[in-house]
Amino acid sequence: MEQVASEPKNPYRDDFLVGLRSRRNEPVWLLERRQAALAAFERLGLPGKRWEAWRNLDLTPIADNRFPLLHTWGEIDDATVEAALGDVPDVYRMVFVDGFFSARHSALEGLPSGAAVLSLDEAMDAENPALERLGQAERTQQEPFLALNTAFMGDVALIHLGKGVVLDKPVVIVNLMSTKAEGRGVYPRTLVVAEEGAQASVVELFRSNTADAYLNVPVTEFYLDANAHISNYRVQEEGGEAFHLATVLARLERDATFTLHTLAVGGKTARTDIHVDLEGKGAEAELDGLYLAGDGQYVDHHTWVHHNTEHCNSRQRFKGVLDGKSETVFDGLVRVAPGAQKTDARQENRNLVLSPRGLAHSNPRLEIHADDVKCSHGSTTGELDREALFYMRARGIGERDAQALLTFAFVNEMLDTVRLEALKEYERELILRWLPGDETVREIQ
Amino acid sequence: MLQIKNLHATVEGEEILRGIDLEIKPGEVHAIMGPNGSGKSTLSKVLAGNEGYEVTAGEILFEGKDLMELEPEDRAREGIFLGFQYPTEIPGVSNTYFLKAAVNAIRKYRGQDELDAMEFLKLVKERAKLLKLEDQLLNRPVNEGFSGGEKKRNEIFQMAVLEPKLAVLDEIDSGLDIDALKVVSDGVNAMRSADRGFLLITHYQRLLNYIQPDYVHVLVNGKIVKSGGKELAEELEKSGYALFEENAA
Repeated sequence: MEQVASEPKNPYRDDFLVGLRSRRNEPVWLLERRQAALAAFERLGLPGKRWEAWRNLDLTPIADNRFPLLHTWGEIDDATVEAALGDVPDVYRMVFVDGFFSARHSALEGLPSGAAVLSLDEAMDAENPALERLGQAERTQQEPFLALNTAFMGDVALIHLGKGVVLDKPVVIVNLMSTKAEGRGVYPRTLVVAEEGAQASVVELFRSNTADAYLNVPVTEFYLDANAHISNYRVQEEGGEAFHLATVLARLERDATFTLHTLAVGGKTARTDIHVDLEGKGAEAELDGLYLAGDGQYVDHHTWVHHNTEHCNSRQRFKGVLDGKSETVFDGLVRVAPGAQKTDARQENRNLVLSPRGLAHSNPRLEIHADDVKCSHGSTTGELDREALFYMRARGIGERDAQALLTFAFVNEMLDTVRLEALKEYERELILRWLPGDETVREIQ
Repeated sequence: MLQIKNLHATVEGEEILRGIDLEIKPGEVHAIMGPNGSGKSTLSKVLAGNEGYEVTAGEILFEGKDLMELEPEDRAREGIFLGFQYPTEIPGVSNTYFLKAAVNAIRKYRGQDELDAMEFLKLVKERAKLLKLEDQLLNRPVNEGFSGGEKKRNEIFQMAVLEPKLAVLDEIDSGLDIDALKVVSDGVNAMRSADRGFLLITHYQRLLNYIQPDYVHVLVNGKIVKSGGKELAEELEKSGYALFEENAA
């Protein structure tokens, strides 16, 4: 088939070419990966209703590059940074505004030797060896938003932990959207490479200063070598009209452990795809997710946990609360590859629907190609216990407060796995603000 | 304090209460006795405002206010306490927090300041001792994993903390061994006062050996068929409900 070189194949290519101008300092291999990713996206297109994994999500509002790439970034005041876990001491902090690295708001002093936390420019200057993993993932060829991010990613956050490096403080990556992001697309990227025996916690926060629509397509990749231990905490509180289409990739070698904890409260349409590949014996993944969907929100979590070898464990626990006219999806696949004996995989999804207009889809799936495995999955969707509500009201507690208390009781256990006290407090506040009821219930202990 | 006039109530379309008249004055202890299915528990649920029960005729006045106009929480805030026959388990909400939320909701309604943590804790410790409740039960989720006796003690403990004007205790004695019954009864007796009314609902005369009522009413088939003093309970113990059931039919 003949093509005229000057004619863009799709509306994303122009953005890509403009973006290239600011990437002249990038190595050829990276530019080639970006181009290959764009080609993959052009080939794949936006997933439509015919894609099984995307059938509940209407992507027409973002089709045809309606949120063009943002080439500059806006202003963020210090109060906004402060509110985003900014007043917590004892962390390494990277702040990104509209996808651009804000060195002025960041704090990375005192990293132990063997550890690097760098933006893309810094990583290129330092010739950090971990950088070569960027954009390498094979899934880029199959996942449209992973491909789009790889083509468009700007100031990447790179965390490289050398052999045996244990980070004394968590790395907090704050992704803030300014009013400049209104109507635009932003593509944050985080790459974490943990060599043998390394250990760290990585917190990712997604917040915005605008109630207008924008598109955020973040990707975070984790490469865990043998016996590496990484915790990832994600708090998604995007603006009320935002689209948040996130991808998390984790690849675990022998005896590595990866724990993921997500809290999703923001955005109009929010989806997180989580791909975990257990490649080495004894690898272990724990995925915890809590989502609170209010009126008008769509919140979606898809997980793919691949047990590719024997003696690996995985546990998934996702809980959702739906209020108003809202829709949520939990779709989780555990795939046990042939020969992956002694797999222990558990998966659980529980939804609490507070409103008759809430719609929770729950779809835990097992695909097992080995015979000596322990796999379980469970799914429940229910309303608040009417008897418990009456019992509380009969003691003088108002109806909305009683609902709030019972709802908090339902979600509270999800905070147990947050090992960073400041973050736990931050999440608790977010949850309490979301709950119905008046101030009395805000003191829940 | 409480006036019930010609009360009729239905559950899922079936009439359970068929014209109840009852008046309770401050300081009085009334006992309602009756066989299974007579409507005893329905009466307590109607008083507390459970939405599964529909009042089809009659009225209930509490201190002159039309109870039917009040939501369950407002009835509690006005001073009515229902001790549940089957206390509900509430996983994830600690007993102490639950009570604190209740106490403060009631105080707020009455225009009083909320209790601070210290005052509240003092009150709770004092009342828990009265019911011989271990501290550990206070910190556990409401009723979760409690034994039958612990649940009933917890009900009376809550009553002791909330200090209602009128306590409706629905089969607070059922399922209790004699030791537990004594503790529960002691708790109730300690709360008796000249300005507090009690309505005890029970299947067994045994409870009334420990809590001496001023009045006993026999409820059969949704109606009070006989009222009298505490000697009526003894009469019932000897004759059983059969005699009254015949009368009611």
